Amino acid sequence: MPPGSHPLSGFLRDLIAQVPLDGADQEAILNLPHRLRSLDPSSYLVREGAIPLHCGVLVEGFAFRQKTTGDGARQIMAVCIPGDAVDLQNIFLDISDHAVQMLTRATIADVPREALQELILGHPAIGRGIIQLTLVEASILREWVVNVGRRDARERIAHILCEFAVRLEVRGLASGNGFELPMTQEQLADATGLTPVHVNRVLKGLEADGLITRQRRQIHYGNWRALQDAGDFSRTYLHVPGEDELQLARR
Amino acid sequence: MIEVQPLTPLVKRWSKHSKLSEDDVGALLALPFTRKTFGRDAYIVREGQQATECCLIAQGMAFRQKLLRDGSRQIISFHIRGEFVDLQNSLLEVADHSVQSLDRCEALLIPRSPLLDLADKHPAIRRAMWIDTLIDSSIFREWVINVGRRDSRTRISHLLCELAFRLDGSGDGRDGRFDFPITQEQLADATGLTSVHTNRTMQSLRKDGLIQLNAKSLTVLDWARLREVGDFDELYLHHQL
Repeated sequence: MPPGSHPLSGFLRDLIAQVPLDGADQEAILNLPHRLRSLDPSSYLVREGAIPLHCGVLVEGFAFRQKTTGDGARQIMAVCIPGDAVDLQNIFLDISDHAVQMLTRATIADVPREALQELILGHPAIGRGIIQLTLVEASILREWVVNVGRRDARERIAHILCEFAVRLEVRGLASGNGFELPMTQEQLADATGLTPVHVNRVLKGLEADGLITRQRRQIHYGNWRALQDAGDFSRTYLHVPGEDELQLARR
Repeated sequence: MIEVQPLTPLVKRWSKHSKLSEDDVGALLALPFTRKTFGRDAYIVREGQQATECCLIAQGMAFRQKLLRDGSRQIISFHIRGEFVDLQNSLLEVADHSVQSLDRCEALLIPRSPLLDLADKHPAIRRAMWIDTLIDSSIFREWVINVGRRDSRTRISHLLCELAFRLDGSGDGRDGRFDFPITQEQLADATGLTSVHTNRTMQSLRKDGLIQLNAKSLTVLDWARLREVGDFDELYLHHQL
């Protein structure tokens, strides 16, 4: 978070990208009661089956959603990036149906559930913006079902890299042709339904084919089109604000 | 007219998780719609289309899917009577996936703007719509783990448990028996498996006395065991709401 900026400004920016908000709306968001806390990598924000009293906004750092099968295998079903409200569904759903864990050290702003419920009642435009954010999240989830259900290992990994690149770029968190991927190979495996060994092999293959270069966790891509092609990636499902209209105009 | 108002199943379902006033219910039942019948695998919505209406299932079942460039298909969710299949289209401009009819299906097409108006004027309806989309998301998350981390026998059993549980909740089951007009191919596309593999798995579930499958119906013979085999916990369906 840049010095002096408001912890909820990223969330506000994200909402404004969805719907026009007037001064009163914007002020109401920045005036939401919240408590900041710092969380270590792997620590839990929410556990499956918990009854949440807060919605967390990710101020700094990265998080992921996960579920575990009966025999202990873990599946990551979303990666949350700075500015994301991590568990907006808690506004209306009483029990958390999955767990949220930190990918990196992170700062979370805990906003009381009732404060958000009141906010939505008093500010219909904000309500609409929040609904749209949850709908975009749902669209990304659908794409993940496809990714693990029907794509081969190479496509799965390339696809997740493309998705990450676009989402970070839209938030202004990626520079040039690269970004930092805050995930271990084990976590990548859990996000793609593969084994870590397989992920390692695929990453090496993508590198050998000149699609990416890696330096620690920094990923660079020389040819965006080729990487998208390798991942069977098309960004429509991300519903990037302003792009749906362009998409329709092109048809 | 003896016929039941086709929007009644929706009112019934939403009333389970949201307190709707008489006024809310009246406004819901007054929604304009066109009724349309679709044959097996017919497209109700196509990916990339501009969304102008939302589709509510009145009879039969539908599913959401995405096609890949190699022509393979992934089914992302199933929808039963009284459910919207594309509520997100009322707010997102471009359909990011397609909707197809499972077997013969009757749908009510509701124009987008009256639906949005209704949500604007009736907070309880807005809340109900929202909860619907959130439960959808929860189901998507479960599907990611189902195709990502469960073996084929568990995957298919899980899917059967989910459908049985939802159909039971909507009053569409009787003594563990449900209309289930699904093909092996559709089942395979929902679980990320091949038709051959799906067929083999279904045979073994049948042989083990867990299910009975007739032409167009499914009977769950041993619910406790099917749940166990399918690693199924209904928490994610948020039925307690």
